Amino acid sequence: MEKPIITFARWGNYTIAFKTIFEQLGLEVIPPEKTNSQTIAEGAKLSPEMFCFPMKVNLGNYLPALKKGANTIFMVQNIGGSCRQRYYGVIQEKVLKEAGHQINFLDFRATPKDIYSKVKEISGASFWQIMKVVRFFFKKLALIEKIEKMGQYYRPREIEKGETDRIIQWSFSKLEEPKKEEDFPKLKREILKKITEIKIDKNKSLPKVALVGEIYTVCDPTINFKIEEKLGMEEIEVHRQMDITYHIKKLIFPWKDWIIQRKINPYLRSTVGGHGRDAIYEMLNYVKEDFDGIIHLLPFGCMPEVTVRPILEKIHQESGMPFLSLSLDEQVAEAGIDTRLEAFIDVVRNHYKNKSRTEIS
Amino acid sequence: MKIGIPQALLYWKQPYFWETFFENLGFEVLLSPPTNKEIVEQGVKVSDPETCFSNKVYWGHLLWLDGKCDYIFIPRLKVNKERLEYCPKFFGVPDLAKILVKNKILTETFNERKESFERTIEKLGEKLNKNREEVKKAAEISFLKQKEIKEKEEEDFLKKIQSPKQKFILISHPYNLEDGYVNLRMKEKLEKLGAEAIFIDEVPIQNKENKLDWPKFHWEFGKEIMEKMSTILNYNIAGAIEISSFQCGCDAVLKEFVEKEFKSRKIPFLYLIVDEQTGEAGFQTRLEAFLDTIK
Repeated sequence: MEKPIITFARWGNYTIAFKTIFEQLGLEVIPPEKTNSQTIAEGAKLSPEMFCFPMKVNLGNYLPALKKGANTIFMVQNIGGSCRQRYYGVIQEKVLKEAGHQINFLDFRATPKDIYSKVKEISGASFWQIMKVVRFFFKKLALIEKIEKMGQYYRPREIEKGETDRIIQWSFSKLEEPKKEEDFPKLKREILKKITEIKIDKNKSLPKVALVGEIYTVCDPTINFKIEEKLGMEEIEVHRQMDITYHIKKLIFPWKDWIIQRKINPYLRSTVGGHGRDAIYEMLNYVKEDFDGIIHLLPFGCMPEVTVRPILEKIHQESGMPFLSLSLDEQVAEAGIDTRLEAFIDVVRNHYKNKSRTEIS
Repeated sequence: MKIGIPQALLYWKQPYFWETFFENLGFEVLLSPPTNKEIVEQGVKVSDPETCFSNKVYWGHLLWLDGKCDYIFIPRLKVNKERLEYCPKFFGVPDLAKILVKNKILTETFNERKESFERTIEKLGEKLNKNREEVKKAAEISFLKQKEIKEKEEEDFLKKIQSPKQKFILISHPYNLEDGYVNLRMKEKLEKLGAEAIFIDEVPIQNKENKLDWPKFHWEFGKEIMEKMSTILNYNIAGAIEISSFQCGCDAVLKEFVEKEFKSRKIPFLYLIVDEQTGEAGFQTRLEAFLDTIK
């Protein structure tokens, strides 16, 4: 077998952490191209018409990397449970091979054991080496998620507009660098210091909006048109629970699912695959915490999210919480999303104003 | 007591089974009529715009039954005998129905990873105040009827496969094939054009060995359709037509492998997507053109 040059499925800012795994194992990596309208169009051209959007995005991300010389693709299957995600790898392999790409496709189940054996097979690293890499991966991942969370807090409160985003951009580009785990703590301190030094108005009270829905669209700012940033710039605090750590925790500890099921029993008495149940659970929580709006993001035709959407709409009607559902696919234009978002922001502000008025009187 | 059964989607997974079962338990059964324009329009109006067409049709049937019976029976089909899952959209159907209709809903979860089918229908019987013996008897009669139909289908298949006409295999889910309105009377159309139409459900599974190239599906219909295809590929067929309802997520996966098999064997393959806006004239033209290419 020729020397493997690896590329993998892109996933928002977490791509940086994934890249580390392969780099640390001493493998050659060509990271997938950052998602833009070009890659999305290319991916959609190749993939089956009715397939869900994230797969088309992934395909589009691989293509430039393959052109640059990558020959091995890493893809996780069955993240979501009963949904189509588990056939991503099979379909992507088929489609790419039919398009004439000579690739080695590594499709593995999302269990620690399977991941371990695949990584070992390709890199030949020892157990301790792999464990060390995994530790570094989780450290990086935790920092990325922390930066994202801090951004959600700092962005609407910043005094100089745009400063937070500039610093976050800088930190993500810095995070690509450290090759050694020893250099990491210093960088971490530097990044966190920079972010905490952003001048903010701490006493500002802000309307709060939560993002719920399908994990890939919620977490990847390049395909949800930077919805977090946009809301933040409009002085709205954004919350979201979905991220990789949340997902991994759920994979390892099943009781989270049991708690969720118990809470949502009046609405849905079964799993529907993917993160369908989580959306309902989160929305119920946010209603309880008195948020000012919920945005539901999903890829067009996503089976679990489409199934639960009528339930979310029912909760919206019962509680009066502003609710916006955005389906994303290759034909959605940014202008369309912006218009809907602007209208929604007005609704959120009104909701917030009315709420504070009733509190005073 | 009257029990309503919508004659769409889940019904066609076990046709005639549930009506026989409830009738033998001594209930009156009300079946919704075969799909018509009004039902589809009603269903489309209330359903989520992005759900699949088959689901939209089902909501139409539910609305038709609403208020006409004491209970509407909606099973929650999750896992079948072979430990394979049904479509994830089926999992939530009873809950979504509760939001939609005012009628009381009779439901039970069929998950054979947890308990056997027999035990589940016993529980269903308990809900209706019927004891174990009665349920067992009714189920036996229903199983017999199901078997009878199956045998007749296989006989029909053998007859059809030997006919001198051009034979076309129609591939889809049972709820698309059996529902004449949904598939725009594809069978009649083919017969009018002088061809023989064979439904994939009628095909018996002859060898369980996996000779075709497909991933291990966790969906029951995926496995079933691919196994039946390996039977039908042994016979001489003129062409294949796959019908999908718009936004059927499972078909997006399945189609890739179905198409591949036919293409690699140089059997003409036509893929049709049906939804509430499909026009009959457009379908007719495509079908005629497809048949012309074969002649």
